[in-house]
Amino acid sequence: MMIRNILITFSLFLLPMNSLLAVDWGKELGDHSGVDLKVQSIMDPYIDAVKEISPQFESATGASVTVEGFGYDGLHEKQIVACSQNDGSYDVLFIDGIWIGEFVEADCIEPVEDIWTAEGTDKSVIAWDDYIASFAGQAIWDDKKMCLPFGGYWHMLHYRTDLFEAEGLDPPETFDEVLAAAKLFKDNPKYPELDGGYAMNMARGSAAGQQYYEWIYSAGAQPWESNYPGSPDAYADQRGLYNSPESVAFIEWMQEMVNYMPPGVEQYAWDERAKAFTQGKVAMINNWSVRTPLFNDPEISKVKGKFGVALFPHAVGAESVPPVGGWIACVNKHSKNKEAAWDYLKWFASPEIHREWVLMGAPPSRHSAMNDPQINAEQPWTPVLYESSLRAWQELRPRHALTFELIETLGIEVNKALTGESSAQDAMDTANKKIDRLLKSEGYIN
Amino acid sequence: MLSEKIQKLLFILPTCLFLLIISIFPFLYSVYLSFFQAKLTKMHKKFFIGWENYYVLLFEDDVFPTAIKNTFVIAFSSITIEIILGFIMAKIFFEIRHIKFSNTLRTITIMPIMLTPLCVGLVFLYILNPTLGIFSYILETVFGIEPFAYLGLSLPAKISVIAINSWQWTPFMMILLLAGLMTVPNEQYEAAKIDGANWFHVMTKIEIPSILSFVLLGIVLRLIDCIRLFDIIYITTRGGPGISTEVMAFFTYRTEFRSFQIGSGSASAVIILIISLIVTTIAVTLLRRVEKNEGLS
Repeated sequence: MMIRNILITFSLFLLPMNSLLAVDWGKELGDHSGVDLKVQSIMDPYIDAVKEISPQFESATGASVTVEGFGYDGLHEKQIVACSQNDGSYDVLFIDGIWIGEFVEADCIEPVEDIWTAEGTDKSVIAWDDYIASFAGQAIWDDKKMCLPFGGYWHMLHYRTDLFEAEGLDPPETFDEVLAAAKLFKDNPKYPELDGGYAMNMARGSAAGQQYYEWIYSAGAQPWESNYPGSPDAYADQRGLYNSPESVAFIEWMQEMVNYMPPGVEQYAWDERAKAFTQGKVAMINNWSVRTPLFNDPEISKVKGKFGVALFPHAVGAESVPPVGGWIACVNKHSKNKEAAWDYLKWFASPEIHREWVLMGAPPSRHSAMNDPQINAEQPWTPVLYESSLRAWQELRPRHALTFELIETLGIEVNKALTGESSAQDAMDTANKKIDRLLKSEGYIN
Repeated sequence: MLSEKIQKLLFILPTCLFLLIISIFPFLYSVYLSFFQAKLTKMHKKFFIGWENYYVLLFEDDVFPTAIKNTFVIAFSSITIEIILGFIMAKIFFEIRHIKFSNTLRTITIMPIMLTPLCVGLVFLYILNPTLGIFSYILETVFGIEPFAYLGLSLPAKISVIAINSWQWTPFMMILLLAGLMTVPNEQYEAAKIDGANWFHVMTKIEIPSILSFVLLGIVLRLIDCIRLFDIIYITTRGGPGISTEVMAFFTYRTEFRSFQIGSGSASAVIILIISLIVTTIAVTLLRRVEKNEGLS
């Protein structure tokens, strides 16, 4: 608690006061009458809020804004294929922060730092220091600010307060406590509505691969030699440590956890995990903060007012390192409407519009939003989220050009271990070998 | 006046051009790319690596050989089930061909063929859902079997894919074999009846030899289809759990469009083509021999 208060107080000093001042958008934005600005986005829960807020930009600039949503894999595929063909159909690209290396390598994006330097944009409009560092880092590549961060996600443990209170339990902090609680709630005749104690992403590919990276630092391990929280250069030595004793022990812990999860969890990805919690089928999940508001939506949730959040759990002797992810907005290098796209970006990501957007149910990503009293009142999990954001490690997952392939390769082996096709040791030995070979083939390691 | 030869050449020129642009050039370009370390995001930096993509795919990595094996296990199992069930169904429809509603029943039976595999995959994804699906419900209420991840565990997932594939394509085999049964001359049945042959004799001595060419045609067509199997895997298992339902077409898609490894993806596409050509050539040769000899003996 004391650490949390110190972190919050310290971060408040970082908050630039000018970021809270209203911007004269009439002066800041150009006239884009006749421009049909197309925004390509993930179909995450925040997309409705993007559509809801964009008409304000239309009124201010005369442009019309079309926001189109796609699934995670589909979006990545479409964006990279379009970029390889110099396609400018979409002017604004919302990309996952971990794709940045790949997009820079493919020359898909116009670096925003170059644009605002050339334009002489008022720094208070960008308010870069107002971004939470662990998330802002997702938009930087080779020390250059490539895109504007707007939708930061952090992982928190979500648990059912009614069930934990009934059992007289505090939310679990360590892996052992998570396991014990999951065991308690699985097949417990007192709670027949529950299918399991816990739910994780275990489906083959990205889901299981990302799950590994989300947990590994809190398990006291690290994926490769130079990647650990606070590392001065996470990519200096990328030789894999996927088969280290700590990493294998973590996979063995996951194997044990499978016993206390719902049937079919081997096919769970983001949607299934969140749905299980929303429908009151599990007592706990770890989840990205973007979906937290959905659990409070009475139209789709059976757990409204019956859940709480806590810091991401950790192994005994290790510290909680909450996963960070989220979406950054980029100007498509091949767009014919770059000026309008940039105006949209700086308007949409500005502290003022960001606050409005968050109040529509989107995830807060700036210090100013995290400390906003109204946001705290409407999203009561914000203090825990803020603490998570300050503890997070920005290089949680590899952000270089091989990220998608690497996560998928890892996800196949993790899934094999979780479904009993391989032992934890064999699966992680194979993962380490395959990832090292992949990195060697592209010159990332010798 | 153009000579007759030139006239003929001019007539076939559009088709040749069409084939050249649509099929031959992409194929040759694919073969060319398969010898490069090439990624879609940096095609300008591709470099020649000779046979390495092929070597890695076939001898270093376990995924592609497993995908080849899985493709043939799924193909062999599905086609066997389709032939057996298709023959039984064809026999039933053959026997009831004079009944009033047999045509309507036959139309209803072939409906699965008309559905896109994508829809079939989605429907079965819900049916096989361990917590919400009707399959779990029936197993639990009727047989007392606890629900488990039918698509999330290795062997059940493989069996499920084979079952879904067979469910969709058994009617196709049925139609083909029914057409075969229709060609058997009535005199042969009458002669067998006079000779006192039972149903088993009729089936093994008259019907099966008569429809053998239809069976082989069905095998060839379904084999080509199974080698390209993609949609059902993409929707239901995504090749998982682990790599237990990874098939060749899905592997190539993953390599080309998720990892954007164009060189390696092209190499796997070329290997698939070679395998398809070999398998199809063998099957067609066998089919021709059967047609020529009107039987294998």
